[in-house]
Amino acid sequence: MGEKDNKIPVSSKIAENESYMTKKLGLGVSYDLGFRELIILKRKVHVFYLTGLCDSAIVQEIIKVLIAINDNESNQKKLPEIIENRLIHQQLEPTETMDEAIDQLLSGLIVVFVNGYKYAFVVDVRNYPGRSPEEPDTERVVRGSRDGYTENIVENTALNRRRIRDARLRHEMMKVGERSKTDVCLSYIEDVADKGLIQLIKNRIKEIEIDGISMADKALEEFVIDRKWNPYPLVRYTERPDVAANHLLEGHVIIIVDTSPSAIILPTTYFHHLQHAEEYRQTPALGTLVRWVRFFAVFLSIYLLPFWLLLVNDPTLLPPDLSYIGPTEMGNIPVMVQILLASIGIEFLRMAAIHTPTPLSTALGLIAAVLIGQIAIDVGLFIPEVILYTSIAATGVYVTPSHELSVANKAISICIIILTGFFGLIGFTIGIVLHVLFLTHMRSLRTPYLWPLIPFNPSAMLHTIFRIPAPFTNSRPSIVHPKNNYRQPDKKN
Amino acid sequence: MKEENQLEQNKREEPLSLIARAMITGFTGGVIASIAGFVMNYFNFTEISPKSFVLKSWVRASWVDGWLGTAISILIIGLLSLLIALIYYIALRKLYTMWMGVVFGIILWGLIFFVLQPLFPNIPAFVDLEVNTLVSTACLFILYGTFIGYSIAYDYHDTKEKEQKEKEQG
Repeated sequence: MGEKDNKIPVSSKIAENESYMTKKLGLGVSYDLGFRELIILKRKVHVFYLTGLCDSAIVQEIIKVLIAINDNESNQKKLPEIIENRLIHQQLEPTETMDEAIDQLLSGLIVVFVNGYKYAFVVDVRNYPGRSPEEPDTERVVRGSRDGYTENIVENTALNRRRIRDARLRHEMMKVGERSKTDVCLSYIEDVADKGLIQLIKNRIKEIEIDGISMADKALEEFVIDRKWNPYPLVRYTERPDVAANHLLEGHVIIIVDTSPSAIILPTTYFHHLQHAEEYRQTPALGTLVRWVRFFAVFLSIYLLPFWLLLVNDPTLLPPDLSYIGPTEMGNIPVMVQILLASIGIEFLRMAAIHTPTPLSTALGLIAAVLIGQIAIDVGLFIPEVILYTSIAATGVYVTPSHELSVANKAISICIIILTGFFGLIGFTIGIVLHVLFLTHMRSLRTPYLWPLIPFNPSAMLHTIFRIPAPFTNSRPSIVHPKNNYRQPDKKN
Repeated sequence: MKEENQLEQNKREEPLSLIARAMITGFTGGVIASIAGFVMNYFNFTEISPKSFVLKSWVRASWVDGWLGTAISILIIGLLSLLIALIYYIALRKLYTMWMGVVFGIILWGLIFFVLQPLFPNIPAFVDLEVNTLVSTACLFILYGTFIGYSIAYDYHDTKEKEQKEKEQG
């Protein structure tokens, strides 16, 4: 984009505008750029539009009305005012510069030039190709709203607004990408969210100078968050507007990027990734239970395999009560290698399942379950226990609500398995300590990642361990540094 | 450093709840660490159990070996941990870094296993302990120290920051 001073103004000679558009946009070369010349009250009027991104019915209606001016009006001098008046649309904006007109045109708005007038009218008739909101695949619930974000940022912000009709809910639009000019929306509640945090995120977004962010929210996340090589997800994604609305009310900041159906929640901690909308649809007691089972599963997905490997390699560690743990025969390959092979095998299957077309997935399932698992034991490649424990750990991986977190946990688990395999007990304990210290040391936008465990915050930890009933959630989590701490008057109940 | 000076000035206004929160952290840390200690002892990660420190060295009753002994030693360690949290709060709360907690844990471990060892008749001398025991307990103390230290320092830092913000906003 050019500097502010040398922006080209809209010329009052319409031919100049046309030649500029031809040169800059390749009018006549790019087929998707449409152009229509009208003669109204003996003056030329040009309408530019982008095929496919605007609603033809509305454009036709507008042209119809413009042409009708010939029959109803006669004051040629007042033509621009008449046209402005007759452009029947609620979002009409006169613009002075060609650059802005082009930007808007390329977003799917129509631009109307009138000969002898130094402004162009921009009418918002955008209609992007896209799907209607449907329940997101990754965050299904048994009960609860079934709408999810789509690829359309306008619909997404509207879904938020439907849930929070607060006058203080802010949707700030920004453009990212020198070429792609992707819309990015920063949502927060003015008198709740931390001003410093909003400013920090805004600055980071404004600093971006890349040509385009085709990978939308993920690319943006990498610009906003400091640690590029960290395996752990430092932001939480959601495709559910109800989850996003809940976080907005808690004082979080939400970033929505156009063309992506997932919104970014900031700031996030480890325990945010372990939450799921499902437990908020259950009774608090059952929600708590669901949560504990999930915590346990996630814990197993990281530590079960290395711990079992440790006990197999060093049976003296087993207490007498548990002496039956461990394989009866050791197999032909070292157990550590077996575990690693089985883990990698499961990764194969996971990746294959993503790419396999649905009609073939049954065949894949069959290969996975019967052929690989059973035959591997029969030919003596794996011992049965390896299959059992790897399967439990793999299920734990899939129980993790956040896909990003589950993959990171798995990577860490493999590191600890290798440490344990080589260094035994010492490798295992040091591996755990390094893992915990690593998590403690991490920060997502100044927020300690393991909060509220380390640093410990009793009340927040209570909210993490138990699913507290909504009438008792009086205050917002301190980690977002809310300006207004109370969600409801304290005396209720 | 400037921030540090400002913090010195409003020392008198320090709310009691900050200490109270540090005490809760201390107790929770002690309880979690001693439970972890028992689990580690159960799986023979370490040859000494938390019980050996707080009960077995002094009390020779049959209930010590049962679940009651376990529960009581968890409670005692939780209470002792209050003292440790208090020491950290008084001496080190202003150092806003988690590494101080790690160092604190190591120092504490050295103190208990090396310096104070003669006090506990039930604990073998430092040199007689297995390597596994030394590494496991050191790891436990590192995590314990981080938990106590980082929690207290973060809470202090966060509260001060909040006060500062409120002051700026009027």
